[in-house]
Formats: sequence, C-alpha cells, structure tokens
Amino acid sequence: MLLDVQDVSVRFGGIVALDGLTFVIKEGDICGLIGPNGAGKTTMFNVVSRIYDPFKGRISFDGHDLLSVPAHRIAELGIARTFQNLALFPTMSLLENVMVGAHSQGSVGFVQAITRIGAQKENRRIRDVSYDLLRDLNLEKLAHHPAAGLPFGTLKRLEIARALAAAPRFLLLDEPAAGLTHSEVDELADTIVAIRDKFKLTVLLVEHHMSMVMKISDQVVAMEFGRKIAEGTPSEVQSDANVIRAYLGGEV
Amino acid sequence: MLKIKEGSLQHWAIRIVGFALLALLVIYIPTQSETARIGQFASAFTLIIAAMSLNMVLGFTGQISLGHSAFFGIGGYTAAILIRDHGWSPGYTFYAAAVIAFVVGCLIGLPVLRIRGAYLALVTLAVAVLFPTLLRWKKLEWLTDGAKGIDSVKYDDLPVWPILGELKGRDGRAVFSYWLGLLVLVIVYLVCRGLIRSRVGRSLIAIRDNETAAAVMGVNVTRTKVLIFGISASMCALAGVLATLNSGVVTPDGQFVTLLGSIIFLLIMVVGGAGTLSGPIIGGLVYVWLDNTTRGIGTDSSGVLGFVFGWTDQSPATLILGLALIVIMLFAPTGLMGLLRKLTRRIMTIIPRDISPTQ
Ligand SMILES: Nc1ncnc2c1ncn2[C@@H]1O[C@H](COP(=O)(O)OP(=O)(O)OP(=O)(O)O)[C@@H](O)[C@H]1O
Ligand SMILES: [Mg+2]
Repeated sequence: MLLDVQDVSVRFGGIVALDGLTFVIKEGDICGLIGPNGAGKTTMFNVVSRIYDPFKGRISFDGHDLLSVPAHRIAELGIARTFQNLALFPTMSLLENVMVGAHSQGSVGFVQAITRIGAQKENRRIRDVSYDLLRDLNLEKLAHHPAAGLPFGTLKRLEIARALAAAPRFLLLDEPAAGLTHSEVDELADTIVAIRDKFKLTVLLVEHHMSMVMKISDQVVAMEFGRKIAEGTPSEVQSDANVIRAYLGGEV
Repeated sequence: MLKIKEGSLQHWAIRIVGFALLALLVIYIPTQSETARIGQFASAFTLIIAAMSLNMVLGFTGQISLGHSAFFGIGGYTAAILIRDHGWSPGYTFYAAAVIAFVVGCLIGLPVLRIRGAYLALVTLAVAVLFPTLLRWKKLEWLTDGAKGIDSVKYDDLPVWPILGELKGRDGRAVFSYWLGLLVLVIVYLVCRGLIRSRVGRSLIAIRDNETAAAVMGVNVTRTKVLIFGISASMCALAGVLATLNSGVVTPDGQFVTLLGSIIFLLIMVVGGAGTLSGPIIGGLVYVWLDNTTRGIGTDSSGVLGFVFGWTDQSPATLILGLALIVIMLFAPTGLMGLLRKLTRRIMTIIPRDISPTQ
C-alpha cells in the first residue's frame, strides 16, 4: 500500500468535514475519489498535504507516518498536488511556476545563492526539466508568459506541470477537468494516463466528470458527509445503492 | 520594433555599451562634480541600500516591515560606538554591524513573521517607534549617550586611491564617502541579485504570491521568511554604518533612525519599483534629487509659491516632495522601473534563449 488512511477525522468549528475516513491506495493505481459537493474531498487533499491537522486518525505514506511530517517536507517524500481553485504564482511566468514546483529537487540555499556556488548550474538543470514538462502539457509556447490572466483550463494544466516538477510518486489532482469542454476532458483523461505511465505515478483523482473517473480509474472511493460510502472497481461503485442515492439519480 | 535574442551578439553589445556608459557616469561624478553634488550621491547610495534591503522583505517576499529604521540605527550606532569608544578602524565596523543586525533581525523576525498583513505592519511599526526610546533610555546611556547621541565619530586612516579623486581635506571626505558608498551598494546589489536569481529567490516570490502553494512545493516558509528578514536587516545596517561614517554623528532623533526613516525607505522602494532589482536605485536617485531641488523652493515665500503655500507653516519643500511622489505613483503605479520597462518594450524585446536541448 502506498497510502494508508485510517479513521481520519477533521472538524472546522461545528462542521465535521471528515468523519473517520478510511481507505488505501495501491502503488501504480489511479484512484478516483468522488462525492457530492461538500463531501470532504478537498479536505482530504489538504490533510495529506499537511495543510489541515486531523484531530483523529493516522495516515501512512510508503511506511512514513505522514502526520508527523511538516508541510514543507511532503514534496520531498514524493507527494505533489494540484488545487481545485488554483494556487499558482500569478506574477511568475509559466516556466517559473514550474521551476518553483521543482523546489524539492534543488539544493541551493542562501549561502550558495549569495556566493553563486552552483546556483547557475542548478538553474539551468531545473529550467530544462521544467521546460520539458511544459512541453508534455502543451504549454511550451506560453513559457515566458505570466500566469495571471490565462484561461482557467490552461492554468489547470499548468498546475499539473508544476506538480510533476517535484518528481512525485504520488499525485493528487483536485478536479483537473473543471471548466474544460467535452473534447478537452477526453484529452485530459489521456494525458493523466500518459503521465501516470511515463512518470510511474500513483494518482488520486477527484473529479465530478463521472465518465472520465470511471474510464481511467483502477479503483474508486465514494464519499458523502466526510464518510466513505462505497469502494471498489468503477463498475462496482457505479451500481452501488448508496452512491446512487447520494447522487439522487445524477450522472452515475 | 527591435527583436533581440538573449545571448546574441546584439544583446551583448547593448549590455556592454550600457555598462560602459554607467561606468563613465560613475567615474564622472566624483571627479568632475562639485563637492555638494558628490555628497548628495553619497547619501543617495545610503538610502538606496536601505530601500534595497526593504525590497527583499517587502517587494520580493511580500512581508511588510516598518521597522527598518531600527536596523539602520543599529548599524549607525554600532559604527559610532566601536570607532569612538573602542578605536576600531571603520572598515571592520561593517562586519560587526552586519552580524549584530542579522541576529537582531532573526530574533525579531522569528515571532513577528508569523503575523500577516496589517498586523505585521503594526508590530514592525512598534519596533520603529520603540527603538529611539531605547536609545534614550537612562540605563543604556553608558552605551548610547542618551538623547544627545554620539557625535564626533572621527577616523583619519582614509585609504588613498590617487586615481579615484583627491581624498585629502573636506573635498576628500566627500569623494571617500562616494566611493565607499558605491562599493557597499555594489556588494549589496550583487547579493540581492544572487539571491533573487536562484532557488531562494524563486521561493521568496512564491511566498509573496501564494504562501500555501509555496509550502506545498517544499518551501520552508517560516525559515525562509526569518532568514531573509535577518539578511535584510543586516543590509540595512550597512546603510546605517555608511550614514555614520559620512556625517560623523548619530542621534536618536536622526531622520533615518526614527519611523520617518522607514517611511522614506518604503517610499523610495515603491517609487522606484517594488520587487525589481534596480527599482530602489532609480527611486533613491529620484528621491535625493527631488529632496535637494525642492529644499530651496519657497524659502522667500514670495510669488506663486508663497501664494500656494501661504496657508501652511510647513516647509513647502516637504509638501512639494510629497506631491511630486504622489504624481509619480499616479503615472507609474508599478514604480519608475515599471514605466521604464514599458518604454523599452516599445523599442525592443529580448527573446529568451531557447531552452532545453531535447527535441
Ligand atoms: N477551511 C475551512 N473552514 C471551514 N470549513 C471548511 C473549510 N474547508 C472545508 N470546509 C467545510 O468542510 C466541508 C467539506 O468541504 P470540502 O471542500 O472538503 O468538500 P469537497 O468534497 O471538496 O466539495 P467540492 O466538490 O465542492 O469541492 C464543507 O462543508 C466545507 O464547507
Ligand atoms: Mg473540493
């Protein structure tokens, strides 16, 4: 098991956002995480990236006790994510955004930067890697364009490129298809599978586009009110009575 | 419009010509100008360094500080005390001031930088307000000489560089201040540039743009903020040392030791262009130029100026300076550097080098 989430609970004042959530993800899988609005999917992401502290539960990632690791060490462990509502660096160019994503892959600190020992070399290396990633996501033409003001779909792809720059083993995607057209959604599905294979990733995918989740996931976890209501292969989850009830005959 | 490839022959030519012009100007001023002008440049260098130090914290990292006048003062007092009471040679006081201000900066930064926005402004403002009080404190009088401050900071072992202008006598002191200020300015600029154009600089801007995302990318936000605050404090202290060496005096109500100093540094940084490496240079030169040209205005308070400013007992110079700065901010909200960039972009663009050899 790459990720092992046990009985995790998160509270915001009176709201219980996660309520004893338990699930595991196998290495190399694409795991879909679905659930109606407010189910707690983004909260789950924020717990794994150590932005929120759960008041109960355990998470282990590849044998490490994740909850004892500070937020800035998560990237080093090989965990990278995208944000549902975008959390880019608007004044930086696309290339620079991706270069920050590679922060955990560099080592130049204050002393080396001031004395310029190895800083140039590291810049060149990280620039090249970042440029290649922009190319993987068809963003290389915009490399020197500032991130601010570009279309939402473009920025969503930039978030993926930036996350990949950390050379992660585990990638969390929070609604990467939001705001995309139908054909773009299909294209994105192919991209996700392609990067999973190319970079040997395990993926946790939150998405409201059910057809996309069901098409590319190896395993699906369904949530409602902070709890897991179903788990299994896409077809198992799709026909689960609880899931159908939760979506009230929605897309599923 | 000109399109120039980064690293091409033309690009290098432009760079070399620009650098040569700058070098000529830098040598022209101390050798050909009158003493007063040389002194104005020397004080501009001091202010530029202080604004640059603030720029690292506020312009690049997005953490406001109104307490930098205190670091300026720490530098000024360190130099004065070490030279007058302990007979240090002026050169070494730079190191001492930098180290002391770095430690103090980190100690203040550690608790303070957890606070954000307006509250951070308030807490650092308190630092600026408390500092002069601390200097006047009876129990510290043995060190700071209380309210009267330390004057007659004398040193006479000026190095003699014959090529760089006459250094003896009063003229010599101005020329010396000029070159010393320029030397420190160049060092501080190179330190800033090294930091900004590296992984560290990217993490500073990342913190400014989106702190949460920066942390997720692996940036140790607290550590980075505290260290850059410490480095910034020590750069600002170097400016304070220069000011003391230039004037030979440091007092608790000196212009740059009080809150007013912090505000002037802030003004220079914003007018020049926050978050740009050269912004503070332009801002500092413009500020000192405006300060000196407006200072003479209206002393006789006759004619139009007397009419316009007759209603106030404030010196018209301060008001004109303030108005001029407001006008600059209206026309160049991204600072003069932003304006300059827009103008050069009309004439030419530098196309970044094609990166990545693959494919
Ligand atoms: N920082 C916060 N402070 C207070 N309440 C929060 C916070 N973050 C999330 N919540 C609450 O926790 C619950 C779960 O929210 P979360 O964002 O995890 O849902 P989600 O499954 O991602 O929904 P969506 O599909 O709309 O993105 C919601 O009731 C939400 O209002
Ligand atoms: Mg969400």
